[in-house]
Amino acid sequence: MTALAIDGTTPGPAVTAPPEKAQAGSSRMRLYVRRFLRNKPAVGGLVGFVLLVAFALAGGAATTWHYTDIDLLALTAPPGGTHIFGTNNVGGDIYAQVVHGLGRTLIIALSVSAVTLVIAAFLGGLAAYVGGKPQTVILGIINFLLACPAFLMMAIVAQKTGGNWVMLIVVLTLFGWMIMARVVWQMSTSIREREYVWAARYMGVPGPMVVLRHIVPNIGSLLVVQFILGIVSTVIQETALSFLGFGIKIPDVSLGSLLTNGQQTLATMPWAFYFPAGTLTLLTISVALMADGIRDALDPNSAAGGRA
Amino acid sequence: MIKYLLRQALSWLIRIFLAVNLTFFIATWFLNPASNYAERRPPLSPAQIQAMLKPWNLSTDVPLLSRWWTWLSGILFHWNWGNSPVGASVNVQVGFRVMVSAQLMLGATLVAFVIGIALGVYSASRQYKVSDRVVQFISIIGLNTSVVVVSLFVVLVAVQINRAVGTRIFYVTGASSTGVTGVWNILVDKAQHLILPSICLVFITFASYAMMQRMLLLDNIAADYVRLARSKGLRAPVAIRRHALRTSMIPVMVQLAYSLPGVFTGAAITENIFAWNGMGKYFVDTIYKNDIYGAVAVAAFASLMTGIGAMLSDVFVVFLDPRVRVS
Repeated sequence: MTALAIDGTTPGPAVTAPPEKAQAGSSRMRLYVRRFLRNKPAVGGLVGFVLLVAFALAGGAATTWHYTDIDLLALTAPPGGTHIFGTNNVGGDIYAQVVHGLGRTLIIALSVSAVTLVIAAFLGGLAAYVGGKPQTVILGIINFLLACPAFLMMAIVAQKTGGNWVMLIVVLTLFGWMIMARVVWQMSTSIREREYVWAARYMGVPGPMVVLRHIVPNIGSLLVVQFILGIVSTVIQETALSFLGFGIKIPDVSLGSLLTNGQQTLATMPWAFYFPAGTLTLLTISVALMADGIRDALDPNSAAGGRA
Repeated sequence: MIKYLLRQALSWLIRIFLAVNLTFFIATWFLNPASNYAERRPPLSPAQIQAMLKPWNLSTDVPLLSRWWTWLSGILFHWNWGNSPVGASVNVQVGFRVMVSAQLMLGATLVAFVIGIALGVYSASRQYKVSDRVVQFISIIGLNTSVVVVSLFVVLVAVQINRAVGTRIFYVTGASSTGVTGVWNILVDKAQHLILPSICLVFITFASYAMMQRMLLLDNIAADYVRLARSKGLRAPVAIRRHALRTSMIPVMVQLAYSLPGVFTGAAITENIFAWNGMGKYFVDTIYKNDIYGAVAVAAFASLMTGIGAMLSDVFVVFLDPRVRVS
């Protein structure tokens, strides 16, 4: 966010005095916050996301069960009693599993989205800025990888790594950065041709400085939004992989592997499906609403955030 | 124009060829057919296992490049996609599965596209009204719900409906029943099986078209040429359909091409949940069974689907966009 505070029209280094700069930054930040808070669904999404993160971090305190515990005295118990969300067919406590699974899914999604963003920003920005041959090569690779069945390749590689969540992060990143890189490239090429970038160049501002001062701040809002949308798509992909049995495996759990369990007993004990499915849907939708609100708040041309 | 389409087709063929080869190397590297024999009783020695895998071109004693050439030349010259670790022909396995998946994927994509465009136009012409908000809300849910959750939920609801009505209206497993005779009965039976997985796939794909179409149409309704058409006396629906919609549909068409990998992932999930014997189920089975050539065939199918989607969108773009048609 601080990158956004840099005044896009400031030509040389250290022209604005630091205190002024800080004030401009904070007031702009206030503006964004105000625009965001006007958007009711987005605020709802933010609240939902914060609650879910808190649930993943501290929800375990509400139960005495651990997600690996097996209660042989309460197989397929419906919700209630000491098992808040009930138990599954082997006596595992679903509440503890959902808390742990949500945490697992969240940490995977956040890491993958962050690393993907760095790769995408670097390659997409590089291709757009340098142009010519490197751009052709990078775009060629991206277009080729987009034609590859990424999900299949993820499954093949993830299956081999045997449910290790760190390796799953690597796999999801390795085969999932292309779309974001393309978006960054598209956005950067349009900014590269803007007048203020030309002006900076003609004034003799060196290349890396142009990227840092004029291009990055202007796609900064896009990067933030892409990061948040990346969380949604990673959650959906991770749960799909884990559901099919290629991602997170027993004894570890994620929301996807909990859904596999829910599927097996769908007709007889639907609560094993309801709770992980509800948590997952709440997570993806609240993050998506939040992303929508942030995009509108950061976009000066958007009318959705109201005036000023 | 024909030349443009041919050039696109050629570049897709090259990409598919490269993608399939890349999958071959990844699958060879990460899938280990020898492990299928690890639990045989009595235990087999590694040499025995390799000897058993050799006829199927899976033995690691043979150099990788030589295996690669045997595999590739088999496809190029004999259209033979190889064998599974136990010797089943991939051609036979894929043969009856391709149509099952293709009809599900392409059918769902087409339906989702039509529904998406229609809802996009509907909500754009009623901007900020209740109906627009409702469509937007449903779209957000569709766009951001995991296909696993949607499919399992649909199964639950279908089972409830079946139970409430007392007869089996919806089938939650399989692509068709055995022993059904008569053209009409076969059609009804097919529909009973097809409808649930199609609903799942349509629900997760329609929203991206609907939201994109709404946004683009709103940009175009305000454009000068649409206002001109209105001021000439064209009624609003006609002006939207003939002028605004035509231009605003082009980017949505392009979107179609890039949605097919997602549809393939969705089909893999729905086929597993609804127990369809299609490519999506085969995809999971081959990886579990370390069936390298089967997995590669699935990759070929998935890239081919992406290529077909891209070509379809190219044809539509040529049809809709005069600039492309002329140059």
